[in-house]
Order: sequence, then C-alpha cells, then structure tokens
Amino acid sequence: MREPFNILVAGVGGQGNLVCGRVLAEAAIQQGLRPVVGDTFGASRRGGSVLTHLRIGTRDWAPLIPQGEVDILLGLEPMEALRAAVEYAGKRTIALVSLTEVPTANVNSGERVYPPLTKVSASLAEHCKQVYMLDAESALLRAGSPRALNSFLLGSLSALTENPLSQDLIRKALYTTLGRDTINVTAFEEGVAALHQ
Amino acid sequence: MMSGNEAIAQGALESGIGFCASYPGTPSTEITASLFKFTEKYDIYVEWSTNEKVALEAATGASWAGIPALCPMKSLGLNVASDFLLNMNLSGSGKGGLVIVVCDDPRGHSSSNEQDSRFYAKAAQIPLLEPSTYQDAKDATKYAFKISQQFEVPVMVRSTTRLSHSRGLVETGKISKRKKRAGALPQRLYNVPTPHLRHRDLLVKMERIREEFETVDLNINSNPKHTDLLVISSGVSSLYVQDALQFLNSMNVGLLNLVTTYPLPKKSVSGLLEKTNDVLFVEEIDPFLEDEVRMLSGDLKKSPRFHGKRTGLIPSFGEMNTDIVRKALSQLNGTKAELPTPTPSMGRELLVKRPLTFCAGCTHRNFYWAIRKVKKRLNEKLVVAGDIGCYSLGVFYDEAMNTMQAMGSGIGVASGLGQLERFGFDSKVVSVAGDSTFFHACLPGLINARHKNANLTFIVLDNATTAMTGFQTHPGSRYQEQALRRVRIEDLVKAVQPDFYATADANDTKGLIELLHSTIIKDGLKVLLLDSICRLDEDQRDSTLTDVHFKIDADLCRGEKCRICFADFGCPAINWSSTSNQAIIMDAICVGCGACVDVCPHDAIKEERLS
Repeated sequence: MREPFNILVAGVGGQGNLVCGRVLAEAAIQQGLRPVVGDTFGASRRGGSVLTHLRIGTRDWAPLIPQGEVDILLGLEPMEALRAAVEYAGKRTIALVSLTEVPTANVNSGERVYPPLTKVSASLAEHCKQVYMLDAESALLRAGSPRALNSFLLGSLSALTENPLSQDLIRKALYTTLGRDTINVTAFEEGVAALHQ
Repeated sequence: MMSGNEAIAQGALESGIGFCASYPGTPSTEITASLFKFTEKYDIYVEWSTNEKVALEAATGASWAGIPALCPMKSLGLNVASDFLLNMNLSGSGKGGLVIVVCDDPRGHSSSNEQDSRFYAKAAQIPLLEPSTYQDAKDATKYAFKISQQFEVPVMVRSTTRLSHSRGLVETGKISKRKKRAGALPQRLYNVPTPHLRHRDLLVKMERIREEFETVDLNINSNPKHTDLLVISSGVSSLYVQDALQFLNSMNVGLLNLVTTYPLPKKSVSGLLEKTNDVLFVEEIDPFLEDEVRMLSGDLKKSPRFHGKRTGLIPSFGEMNTDIVRKALSQLNGTKAELPTPTPSMGRELLVKRPLTFCAGCTHRNFYWAIRKVKKRLNEKLVVAGDIGCYSLGVFYDEAMNTMQAMGSGIGVASGLGQLERFGFDSKVVSVAGDSTFFHACLPGLINARHKNANLTFIVLDNATTAMTGFQTHPGSRYQEQALRRVRIEDLVKAVQPDFYATADANDTKGLIELLHSTIIKDGLKVLLLDSICRLDEDQRDSTLTDVHFKIDADLCRGEKCRICFADFGCPAINWSSTSNQAIIMDAICVGCGACVDVCPHDAIKEERLS
C-alpha cells in the first residue's frame, strides 16, 4: 500500500460523508493501520458542500490531503465530485461518482443552471486517472431507500482492486456503524456489483 | 479514535477534573459536550454557562477551592473572558488546577473573524501549549493540569479547527474515580494594593516554567547534527510540515515541533538556531512563534536567516496546509520541479456554489422577509444592527442585516445609532438578537438603551435553544434538564421597562409585517419578542407537523413573471419547474409551516389537510 493512502469523500451536507469516513477508518484500524479523518462541520447541516479527508498509513498524517494526492475520490454527488477533483485530484486519482444530482438553491430558483452531466464527467476524466460514473439511483430503489447512498458507494469502493482495505473489513465496519439492516446490506452489495457492470 | 476535542476532554478526565464550565462555540463545542456524557460516571459537574467570562469565573472558583477545572471556549470567547483572565492571572488559580482551552478558527469557517488567541497567553503571562496530534491533545491537556497545579497559574491549551475537528488514534489511560473534596480558598484572591508585586511574582513563576519547558518530551526535535534548514512549527501545522517533507528528499532539514510555545524554552531553541543557516516558521494564523524566536535571536552571536510570515514566504492569513509548506520549502531549496503540478482550471466554470441559507420552515426567513417589506415602506430608511447566531445569515438575505460583529453588539451599536437623530441620522434603528445571545451579552446594551432613552426597536428571535452550535441548553431554553430553572426573556425585558413591548408568532408572515412596521415607526425603546421555531431542533425532538401539506394552484401561479416564492422568499422547499413553467413545493423538504401562503400575492399557495 502507498503510504499514506488518501481517500477523499465529496458530497452535500446530510448525504452521509461522516459515515463514509467513519466506516473506512474503522476498517483501516481493524487492518492494523492508522487512519486520520478530517471532516467539515458547520455548513454541512445546512446543505453546503462537504469534504471528508481520510488518510491511511502507519503514522498520523495531516488532516488535509495535499493537492494532486488523492488515491480514491468518492463522489456522493456529481458536481461536488468535480469541485473536489478540481482542487485535489491528480495522476493517481480514481473517482467513483454517483450520477444522482442534488440541485443547489440557486439552481432551483432558476438563477443558475446545473452543469450537464456529460460535461461534468468529461471534466472529471481530465482531472483523474479513471472515472466510474455509477447509477446509484436505480440500485437504491431496489435496496429500498435513497438514504443508503453511502453504503452503495462503500460497496463500489470495496470492489475496486486499487483499494487497500479488505472488502470484508469494510463490510463489517459498515454493519457495526450503521447496523445490519437489509437496506444497507443490499445497497452495499449493489455497489459491489455496480463497479463491474 | 478521537477528535482533537474529544482527546482534550479525555486528557482532562485522566487528570481527575471535577468541574467544567463553558459556552458553546465552533470549533470548541465538542470538548464540553463529550464531558456531559460522564457527569455521573466520574462525578464531575459540567455546565453551559451564560457566557465565557462567567464560565471562566466559575471554573476559577472551583480551582480556588481545590477542584481541578476545565474551561473550553472558541477564540472569540476568550475576548469576552479576557477581562477576568487579566486579573486572575496575577492572583493565581489555587491548588485545584485550571486549564483554559481556546480553539481558534483559521479562515473563519464558523467565525465572524480570524483571530490568533495566543497573544492572550502573552498578555496575561500564562503558559501556552499547542498540541499537534490527537495523542498530543490528550497528553498536553494532562501536562497543562500538572503545570497549573504545581505553579498555581492558569494554563492555556490552544487548538485550531483542523485538529479539533479531525480524528485519529489515541491511547487512553486510567480515569481516577477518586472523590473530590472542596476545601478552603487560598488567601488574598485579589491583587490590591500591590498589583505590581503580584505581576513581579508571576514573572518569576514564568521563568521557572520556562525551565520546565526546556526538558519536556512533548516538544519533538528530530535534528541531524548540522542542518541547512531548521523548520520550527507548532500545533497541527507540524503535521503539514512532516507531510511536505516526504516530497523533498534532497534536503538536510531539521525539525523542531514545539508544543510549549510560551514561554519559549530559550536554551534549547538557541542551541538549535546556532547550528543552522536558515529557519522556516510554520504556524497557524499570526507569526506568534516566529516573533518570539526572532526576539531571542538578538542575543545570539550568529543569527540564521529567518523565513515565514514576516518575510512573506508563508501567507499571514488563512489556514495552513501541506501545499503552502511544500511551496515554501521548494523556494528555499531552489527545487521548483518538486512543486505539485498546478491543477488545470478546466471544469471550474461548471461549478455552481452551494450558498448557505435558512432551513426550510426556519422562522428567521419570515422575520427577514417582513423586515425587507418594512424597509421598502420606509423608503430604505431602516438600519438593522445584527448579532451572532443562525440569524446572522440575514447578511446574505438581500442584506437584510446591515452590521454583524460580536456577541451582543447589535443592541450596543443600536443604542449608539438611536442617539443620532440630533445629528440628522434619519433611518429607523432596529437591533436583532437570538435567545442565547440575549443572555450572553445583550443585557448591558439593553439597559444602556433604556437608561439613555435610545430610539430603537430591539427584536429577540426566540427559538428557545442554542441552535447554531447544536441545541445546548441556555437559561431561557424551552427544555431544561433537571435541577435547572428557566429564566424567561420576557420577565427580564419587562423589568427594563421598555416604552413598548409585544410578542408575536414568527410563523405569521403577514401579521409580522404589520407589527414590525407599526412598532418601528413609534418613538422610544421598543422590544419585540418573536416566538420562533428551529426546525432542526423540532426534527430532533420528532415534533414536526405532518398533518398538513401545501400545493401550488397551477391556474393561479404567475410562474416566471412573478418568481416571488422561489427566488425572493427563497424557501428551499419551493422550486421552479421549467417543464411545467410554475413553482412547485417539494413535499420531501417542506415542513408544512405555511409561511409561504401569505408571501404569494396571487393566493396560489393552498393548504391541504390530510385526513
């Protein structure tokens, strides 16, 4: 594993950034590694952009990932994934991004236009080594709740060969953090399957 | 795993604290919040005080009586507490042990300013510790108690946002369950008639503490015999330095990570300065450590070259990060190739910002909507002097709030503006505060306004909880824990005897406009108490309205021609649908408050009761 291994989670307040960071950190500890998790507070409650920086290694790394040093970018929302990629993605970055948009207040009010998804993913591809745009919405419909997006993306991440954490440990950490209910279990397995479709 | 804040709380528990007093403020809140969980288990008393000055006074009382006490606060809180601090430092903190934790907020993520609170340690001549890691946060807090108990001085621990709000592994130790016994107070807990001699005695103590700091193992010095460059850092910045160094292999760099930054351990720092050619300082906010070391170098035979905020190599504002350090190191090293490749700007133009706004159903929106209407009626001759809380977002809501400075400043500023008619000031004056802020710092301003007959309207947006920081109980909270007695804002306001006083429901937008208008144009000191609702607090208590919902009548909606409900009023639950060319209400976000019904000039928003 590269020291440190950097995972950046980008989303909108309320989408489950904190849980993603918590689950992956727990999995890292179970694997005998030292995680550091940097969260954004405050604005997250009010629908702002939120980032969780996760750094995994053998010592305490700084709570913010340096520019260009992201190994995996977990995008809970397309435009937020791009916002994070513009600041932090680099030559090694593999992005896993949910296709489901969360519009902003000024988009809803008609003042601004949400960027077309084709442009967002094209731009993401320019910033990253590889981009997976994942159809989380239909998978989550099958799982039974749109709130399980974080479980879905954690599943996809766990199936990625470049991810240094064991899939089993991520799964277990998810169950200890969120409980082993059917929705999260199904969403996780849907995420695993989605990566290889 | 623990956040920096949780680690500080753990350190305090392991030091056997018995008392914690605090006022909530990001990024410090979780220190006290996590101690609340252990009140019974470890026999500790924890309170949310009315403000930071009261908190520090209460904690000092405990320490004087022999009970180890912790007093956490945010940067701005120390401004409030500083008056007491700069007296008590001379009298001493007694045998209990007193640790003040101050969490600074570089970049002002959740603050109204950017402030470096370390200067208070120097102003008060008290010891200062700056932990770098989560483990440090715990260990430094324990060491702070040890120093405080040994020398009977208050000790300051300073954290910054990224340490407070990030999480890492911490090894915990034993928490003593020993019963704490309060004893008699020490003698002479005042500085008169010889404050100057008390000052002299404190300076002597500080020299002895400096000696202690020379050998403490919290300071880490990883230094080859001769270095081209010595990097001196403190706090979480030390982690950014270590990060940056992994990108630079060619350099012979020494590191000094200081946790005890005031008083500076002179001998050990001087020793290192003599063995290097260049020094780079990396610290958060102001060049505090940099200036201390620069002063010290005046006594050296040969001084190295210094680089940092004073030379412009490191920015003097904003947050620290690895990239800033990396850039500075590359410039000193002349290895530009090792800089991170600049990110292509491609894609930036696609991004739409997510502006902060009031939650769906927040009654603060109704209030500001009404204020905007009244302002129009008064031909814009209306000034709103505001305050600190969720309602500070009024500055982003068509600039409905004109000034926003410190806790309690709204009524203070207004009481000045309310005297200016004699100089031709022709705007009506309104001041706004929340309920927790009212108790924190509004009373002296309100009493001043009454006493001096200032011409103003003071409006309290009372949602009966400390909403911004996470619903901490304050004296006026609707829900009080056992053994706490509610103090009503109404009773306090009435005691001040305003010329006019009224209460109103902040959910009634139409009534609010009329009440605000008729009150504001009256002369004298007027106070309005608005019964407000925090939807997040409601949500937490599971008391959201569910039996009504609202729809927009497509035949009545004027759509694009009007835009009032979704663009002007700006409730996040009302969207514009370009497919059906009308406004729509998002049932998933709408809380069913109905405030928008009166906002629509065409009566297109209808209530539907679910049977």
